Amino acid sequence: MLLDYDRLGWLKAALLAFTALVAAFLLLPVVFIVLLSFGSSRWLAFPPPGWTLKWYQELFADPSWIEAALTSARIATMTAILAVTIGLLASFALVRGQFRGREILRGLLLTPMVLPVVVFAIAIYAFFLRLGLGGTTIGFVVAHTVLALPFAIIPMATALEGFDKSIEDAAIVCGASPLQAKLRITLPSIRIGIFSAAIFSFLASWDEVVVAIFMASPTLQTLPVKIWGSLRSDLTPVIAAASSLLVALTLALMIVTALLRRKLQT
Amino acid sequence: MTQPFLSIRKLRKAFGAFTAVHDVTLDIPKGEFLTFLGPSGSGKSTTLYAIAGFQDPTSGDVLLQDKSLLSVPSHKRNIGMVFQRYTLFPHLSVAENVAFPLRVRRRPEAEVKRKVADMLALVRLENFAERLPAALSGGQQQRVALARALAYDPPILLMDEPLSALDKKLREEIQAEIRRIHRETGVTILYVTHDQEEALHLSDRIALFRDGRIEQIGTGEDLYLRPTTDFVAGFIGNSNFLAAEHLETVGGASTIRLADGALVSGINANGSFAPGQKTRLMIRPEAFRLERSPNNAELSVEIVDVAFYGERRRIVARTSAGQEIDIRPTSAALAAQDVASSHRPVFFDPGAAFLFPA
Repeated sequence: MLLDYDRLGWLKAALLAFTALVAAFLLLPVVFIVLLSFGSSRWLAFPPPGWTLKWYQELFADPSWIEAALTSARIATMTAILAVTIGLLASFALVRGQFRGREILRGLLLTPMVLPVVVFAIAIYAFFLRLGLGGTTIGFVVAHTVLALPFAIIPMATALEGFDKSIEDAAIVCGASPLQAKLRITLPSIRIGIFSAAIFSFLASWDEVVVAIFMASPTLQTLPVKIWGSLRSDLTPVIAAASSLLVALTLALMIVTALLRRKLQT
Repeated sequence: MTQPFLSIRKLRKAFGAFTAVHDVTLDIPKGEFLTFLGPSGSGKSTTLYAIAGFQDPTSGDVLLQDKSLLSVPSHKRNIGMVFQRYTLFPHLSVAENVAFPLRVRRRPEAEVKRKVADMLALVRLENFAERLPAALSGGQQQRVALARALAYDPPILLMDEPLSALDKKLREEIQAEIRRIHRETGVTILYVTHDQEEALHLSDRIALFRDGRIEQIGTGEDLYLRPTTDFVAGFIGNSNFLAAEHLETVGGASTIRLADGALVSGINANGSFAPGQKTRLMIRPEAFRLERSPNNAELSVEIVDVAFYGERRRIVARTSAGQEIDIRPTSAALAAQDVASSHRPVFFDPGAAFLFPA
């Protein structure tokens, strides 16, 4: 091959350096936040004059932060369940269905991914205000489910496309009803896709801030909204601590996904 | 024929303007191994799928022991099926794959265990019970699929080109296994293939499909030795077709004139021909003789090429009318002959030649 890595010569070093630069560019802000959350400076000075855990103590001592984190987790979990359920049914329709407008439906379901979030946020805010769903958990979950659907549908539809329908037919000939065949054979066979869909839609809600700002009320705030709000009122390292925890959970979920994928694939 | 076990009545399947199966009628006795043979798109798989319940026929009926199957959904037909593609459940072990049809039937655990062991022994995969399908070769996967399809003692086993994804040597091995399993279980098998050799090896009877109709049905010998149409003659085995003019037919034996002017009588006629009608004479490559025998017809040819094929030789020869023909004498028969690029006569028994319309 023309661009064979082993034959690049001195370009190999240049390529490595460039890759390292890009990786650093992507990772440094996160690393800074984590370092600042352990820094003793009240004013987020860098490099930190000393190290401390007091911002984490402050964070855990403040019930409003805990409340926000629990709210986030609750909404993200419900969003994941709803998005996976709807997304799974939609995936069957998109992959197996033979109906007019299938491609239009696929486009429609994936729009939230390309639509500017703020446009969607304003639209759904106005709509939910009229329905009286603004500032409610249901409103939050419904809005986030719309945003999470593309992330649920893509891995599940891909998994379903890769699953030979003859296998389901074989289960039916063996005596399983069409529903039994799907539950006992098809779903376990595409479980990697379903699992990815659950994680991705959880994360789509967990770190979503724009729609959340419109949906939130003083009594119902998710973690990103709380971070955003605190950032505007007072700049405290507690925010860095909260952000670090947000990143930590996201990272943990990604690692779990990767490990499970590897386990399930063997 | 015994009382029909499975009966296909005027089965028709149309996809829009295209009719895939035209009023196929067929009776299959219990325990028979019947093969649907035919080129792709000939309707053989569609017929099988109608029996399995994956295709609703446009009209006609499928009866099992005089009861119509059409109103019974696929999963309640109690039919076994092995598919063309590998259809083992990827997340279940070999043993659990075979157990699956018994588990959905809620059979007691002891019976499931015993049956799985029996079935794995039948396909000789006892030592693979705990493996996942991905750890098996293609041939092993199809044997497990066979065990799974037979685990619930279905009255009929459908096989849709189950060996087409395997290489030739493996295919022959599993063909032998399928014959043995058919013998040991006595199950009625409907087998679909486009491979005429496979059909000849396996079947009690072959139904040769063409354009949605059964062109001819009979034993392999019937189809090979007594083809009723030139399509059958051309599809099963190798065949030479020589241009010939029909002169007269008396009592099923025709007299014809070949392109080089030679008259041949005593030919099997399929159908009726008018005097002077253009026809085609079919002769199998192995029906040609290199030595003169009584009552044999003679054809003078030029030898173009001789190749050694083990038990037979293959001779490519050209008739004086310029038509190339394929001759396959046994190697021993040829050893005594001098055939190197020469003009010489070859001979054939008119009783082994068949006349078809041009």
